[in-house]
Amino acid sequence: MNKIRNILEDFDCEYIENYKRVWLKTKLSSKDDLLNVAQKLKIEGLSSLSTVSPTDFLEENIMEINYFFEDLDTKRNLWLKVDLPRDEKLCEIESLTPLFPSANWHEREAFSMFGVRFLNHPDLRDIIKSKDFEGVYPFRLDFDWETHEKDIVNNMNKIVSSFKKEQEENEVDLDTDSSETILNWGPTHPASGPIRLRVHCDGEDIINIDPDIGYVWRALEHLVTKKDFIGAIVSVERLCFMDNINSMVGYAMAVEEIAGVEITPFAKWMRVLLGEVARISSHFMGLGGFFNNMGLHTLAMWNMDTREFFLDFLESYSGARIATASVEPGGVRYGLDMTMFDELQKALDKFDTTIDEVEAIFVNNPTMKLRANNVGVLSADEIYKYGLSGIVARASGVKTDIRIDEPYAAYDELDLKYITQENGSAKDRFVMIFEELKHSVDIIKQAKAHIQKAVDNKEMDPTKDHLVKVPKKLPKGEAISRVEWARGEVLMHLVTQEKATSPYRLKMRAPSFNHTMMLNHLLKGQTLSDIPLIFGSLYVCQGDLDR
Amino acid sequence: MILLDILKRTLRVAKAFAIKSPATKDIRFEAMHNPSRYRGEHKINYETCIGCDSCNKICPTGAITMKKLPFKKQNIVPEVNLSVCVFCGLCEDVCPTKPEKSIVLSGGRYDMLTGGWHKDQQDFWENVDIPQSYIDARLEKEEAARVKKELLAKKKAAELEANKEVTQ
Repeated sequence: MNKIRNILEDFDCEYIENYKRVWLKTKLSSKDDLLNVAQKLKIEGLSSLSTVSPTDFLEENIMEINYFFEDLDTKRNLWLKVDLPRDEKLCEIESLTPLFPSANWHEREAFSMFGVRFLNHPDLRDIIKSKDFEGVYPFRLDFDWETHEKDIVNNMNKIVSSFKKEQEENEVDLDTDSSETILNWGPTHPASGPIRLRVHCDGEDIINIDPDIGYVWRALEHLVTKKDFIGAIVSVERLCFMDNINSMVGYAMAVEEIAGVEITPFAKWMRVLLGEVARISSHFMGLGGFFNNMGLHTLAMWNMDTREFFLDFLESYSGARIATASVEPGGVRYGLDMTMFDELQKALDKFDTTIDEVEAIFVNNPTMKLRANNVGVLSADEIYKYGLSGIVARASGVKTDIRIDEPYAAYDELDLKYITQENGSAKDRFVMIFEELKHSVDIIKQAKAHIQKAVDNKEMDPTKDHLVKVPKKLPKGEAISRVEWARGEVLMHLVTQEKATSPYRLKMRAPSFNHTMMLNHLLKGQTLSDIPLIFGSLYVCQGDLDR
Repeated sequence: MILLDILKRTLRVAKAFAIKSPATKDIRFEAMHNPSRYRGEHKINYETCIGCDSCNKICPTGAITMKKLPFKKQNIVPEVNLSVCVFCGLCEDVCPTKPEKSIVLSGGRYDMLTGGWHKDQQDFWENVDIPQSYIDARLEKEEAARVKKELLAKKKAAELEANKEVTQ
């Protein structure tokens, strides 16, 4: 930490302060220093750039860019801010993509949503937003959504013709004598989900892949600012339905930090318990999805069977199976009826009786091992370079897990361990999800036993302790929170204004965004048949890809 | 010979009737898992609703509209557009009436939108139908209260004046 501080002190910073245990927060006075600072930070070991998050301050006429640097090895992190003029012509800054390849899509997103231009970016195109947004920046505060909706209707023909033009260009640019062609993989491919990969291929060899994302863009980061602090959980949980609880936990922690509220131990333990149940339900889908993409649907069906029991518990607790909306700032939304633990026990029993069979048939499957062992290999260096996290990072042997690195909720009181694989191939990522699944069940058992014991000893009151009051109006402030999500690291950056009743800005850094960025890197030079396999092994969810 | 064959086959098929089916519930009419907290169709109690508008304010999707009632106080009551509602249950959380909430999703119907069993497939609104008799009764009560208040005011004024006269 001191080394980073020393580096920063050489430059002109407005302030350098410690933030939480593993963060350093600073603001550069001049944007010209950015590249030099970044270079030195990279040499120091902060080799991953988690995300780039602009905040639009309309009144001050400032566009503030937040950079989040991470060191996955020594767990030192840096939160760096730079001010830019808000004016569209002057709003430009050096790109960090040549130094940190992980910034690539994040900078493109900042460009498409806020109109921040990144100089020397290799490929500064619009991402996520669709063609009808060309030239306008939807997340700028002076953007008029109502006029835009009318414009879409009026300019429909223009929008359609630009798509047709793209199709024609596809044909013109190609060498007609060869067998080169451009294929669309998705959005209606059985394995794709709502994403389209423009696959430039020669025969079945892939030359280049350009993922076209944004099919399920709901502008969640914008929607959140239109709701109050409690209503916002409905938007936040729609980051991805599969593991909705942990995203709400991240958001709630950020709000609690600004409000200065400490939640009860019972709520902390419930967050662990519910979070792990959601993680399990996500991992079951991930495991099934991997085999689905290889053409075998049995595992997905078996997993669904067991997953139902966990969803039953969620339904009993919160009243909904998937969109639970059960974590809110101040704790968890509902009290616990201790009979619900019987239902959870049923799910755990079902898990214990079926998991060995799954392991024997699918995880140790010789055909799967042959097919997936040397495909889509990510080395540890690439993990650092591209800022990957979660399952994908740990499958390559990188020891990173927010639950241990920066414990939140009650994770610091639990017995946790890093689970890693070695080679980082598609097979390792699949085995990784399976091992994580078993680990999560272990955590649930620990949390359940702890809550049961505390309730028996009358240390916790499950019907009353679940919520503490969070004031409706929050002071001016900002906070970041990180959670280990089913797919990787989710970083929430929340900004509030004075006497705020709703968030001013919420940036959600989603892991699938980084993982999808890897597709071109992994698939270049491979064959078409590898696309579903590698795509499936990256454990991508389009919900948090587009947000 | 053929007859015997047919008999054998019939017997073989007929065995199926003796085995109890693993599916015992018709899930169209009865849920497999139906907890008491299940968030389904709203139940709105217009008699206890105080018309505070908090459910409308918190609704994250804007599914609630407040219906105007011809009263002076407590003159709005929520109506829910079920095709916009995401069933998050926040309206129930904020409802301030005690001991029972005036808008309740918990324990609501689960078969709402599965098709064929809803009252009217075209109508995805949770409307509040208030009988005319209730409206009349409320209006009458309000009128009575108004008259009573007026009388009281008059009486007070008269008393005041009487007091004044006495002091003079």
